[in-house]
Amino acid sequence: MAEIHFDGVGKIYPGGTRAITDVSFEIHDGEFVVLVGPSGCGKSTLLRMVAGLEEITEGEIRIGDRVVNDVPPKDRDIAMVFQNYALYPHMTVYDNMAFGLKLRKFSKDEIERRVQEAARVLEITEYLQRKPKALSGGQRQRVAMGRAIVREPSAFLMDEPLSNLDAKLRVQMRSELGLLHARLKTTTMYVTHDQVEAMTLGDRVAVIRKGVLQQVDAPQELYKNPANLFVAGFIGSPAMNFIGGSVSGGHFDYGAGKLPVTRDIAAGSGRVVAGIRPEHFFVPEGELHPDQGMEAEVGLVEQLGSDALVHFEIDVAPVLTPDIRELLEDAGEDASSLGEKTKMVARVDPLAAPRPGDRMVLGVESDKMHFFSEDTGEVI
Amino acid sequence: MISRRSVTLRHIGLWIGIFFALYPVVWIISASVNPVDNLAASRLIPEGLTLDNYRGLFDDPLVPFRDWLINSWKISLAGAIGNLALAALAAYSFSRLRFRGRRAGLLGLLLVQVFPQFLGFIAIFFTLQAIGEVAPGFGLDTHAGLLLVYLGGAIGFNTYLIKGFMDTVPISLDEAAKVDGASPALIFWRVILPLTRPVLGVIFIITFVGLYGELLLASVLLRSAENFTLAMGLQQFSLSEYAAKWGALSAAAILGSAPIVATFLVAQKQIVGGLTQGGVKG
Ligand SMILES: Nc1ncnc2c1ncn2[C@@H]1O[C@H](COP(=O)(O)OP(=O)(O)O)[C@@H](O)[C@H]1O
Ligand SMILES: [Mg+2]
Repeated sequence: MAEIHFDGVGKIYPGGTRAITDVSFEIHDGEFVVLVGPSGCGKSTLLRMVAGLEEITEGEIRIGDRVVNDVPPKDRDIAMVFQNYALYPHMTVYDNMAFGLKLRKFSKDEIERRVQEAARVLEITEYLQRKPKALSGGQRQRVAMGRAIVREPSAFLMDEPLSNLDAKLRVQMRSELGLLHARLKTTTMYVTHDQVEAMTLGDRVAVIRKGVLQQVDAPQELYKNPANLFVAGFIGSPAMNFIGGSVSGGHFDYGAGKLPVTRDIAAGSGRVVAGIRPEHFFVPEGELHPDQGMEAEVGLVEQLGSDALVHFEIDVAPVLTPDIRELLEDAGEDASSLGEKTKMVARVDPLAAPRPGDRMVLGVESDKMHFFSEDTGEVI
Repeated sequence: MISRRSVTLRHIGLWIGIFFALYPVVWIISASVNPVDNLAASRLIPEGLTLDNYRGLFDDPLVPFRDWLINSWKISLAGAIGNLALAALAAYSFSRLRFRGRRAGLLGLLLVQVFPQFLGFIAIFFTLQAIGEVAPGFGLDTHAGLLLVYLGGAIGFNTYLIKGFMDTVPISLDEAAKVDGASPALIFWRVILPLTRPVLGVIFIITFVGLYGELLLASVLLRSAENFTLAMGLQQFSLSEYAAKWGALSAAAILGSAPIVATFLVAQKQIVGGLTQGGVKG
């Protein structure tokens, strides 16, 4: 058991690529912290620096009370789960799990005890004598977990451990991982690019963008109070809707209409980006004054049973800041595919959902809107 | 559908091929057991059956056949093992370590290999002579000296082959082992080497067979008859008055090559597999 401290940590790869810039935060003892961010943002790099697989080129990482910058991986008392599992193909499942213990000169009895116990917890006892290639993806994943568990390390480091599983298995393993952590309470640093995984697993979630830590907070806090536009857009599915405009006289004016601003936002703060979560739209029961909602041109309506996702357009050009551009890229889209109008998604009561092609005013819970500076992306 | 006709044609082709391949083998086997011991009289079907030719090999004081056989095995075995050890270590470094001159070194190894070793005969000869003045155990006409030259010989190519194989072993296995507590040496022994075994086996056999039949370097560097390898001995054999003893020569050739042929027959599947498969299956 130990906490992990990051103190001004930076990483420049030998080729000159800067992967991490000035990261400072800590993972508390027994805490499950998820590192999340788009592909290539430096999550693995940060994790591997804790593991000792990458040199720490700037700053300091402490595990417990010890600065580990110059401590080799084997002496850091951590165990790692790799994305491709990295099971030793020539060893049986048992030997895969026992390998680290043998190297650490544990007694045969103790090794046997720990491997059997881990196998029991992970329900892989019947495969102990198999080689990894005779296992399914899910079973390999369990073995990889088992190899980490038997070491009883002070921290687990996991690099996208579920990303090679199919969707259904991933959900199942995700909840098992959560249970496992509740049981072992081992400090865990977990890397993923899947924000749903991050939100469901993490005691706290750290969002990284281009090697810079954006925000570390509990999932709900991150969702409710994102520190900037990037975090706001990255966390949540469907993603937060963004509109450009300006604030004056108690109103947010986005060109095609206005919305009341209840909070005290300095007038004349220039161009701002407003963020509205899909669930903060509603279908009004009667006619709604245009200033309390948005003129929407309804497109696709996805009935999900518990609620409905209404895709609609409003008659304003889409706002495009560097953050939004990056979020689009991460979603596999392109700024040029945006079109003339701003596309939005609302999550509404399935019984009240409009029909495709409708023109209507969608209500907005304007007190729940977020505002970000268009220049910096910081929350206002 | 393949027609019966084309199957028949293929079979005929096959049998012709087999006939051509086996004809000399059968001939030499039959000569080795033929009591009539001369080239002119020998034929495909022997006139009788005798093991005298084989027995004779071991009790002719002028022809230390037994020594040659032992020498060949000793040298080929030591050479193949040494070669494998050096090539595997070099391949590990080239595959896993990042050091200055890595690319150049890799290229150099291959380039040097392009020049056949016999181009350097004179240089090798004088080098060994010079070494012999300092360390007589490694000079001319010693097995250790010959081994030294052999070890330099095939390492480049083997290193390349093994490196290519090791490159297919994911680096995350090294990293997992590192986190598990293994030193680089242990990673090599416990993880990389076991996974590279198929290609190591193949290279061992190929190197062994190559050294077993090597004649040129051996005949430049070895002088005294009791130090000869089998290949050298047989060559001398065929040039001397023994050439007339066709049966004895045949018997010697068979005794010399039987183990090699047996190895190939047993290991052929692994040889093909080892050269084509990667380190991590499935
Ligand atoms: N060994 C390396 N040498 C140079 N650059 C690297 C190396 N590994 C990763 N990078 C770069 O560092 C950045 C972060 O990579 P990584 O930590 O793997 O991202 P993530 O895990 O978040 O997808 C990327 O731009 C990547 O190209
Ligand atoms: Mg990664």
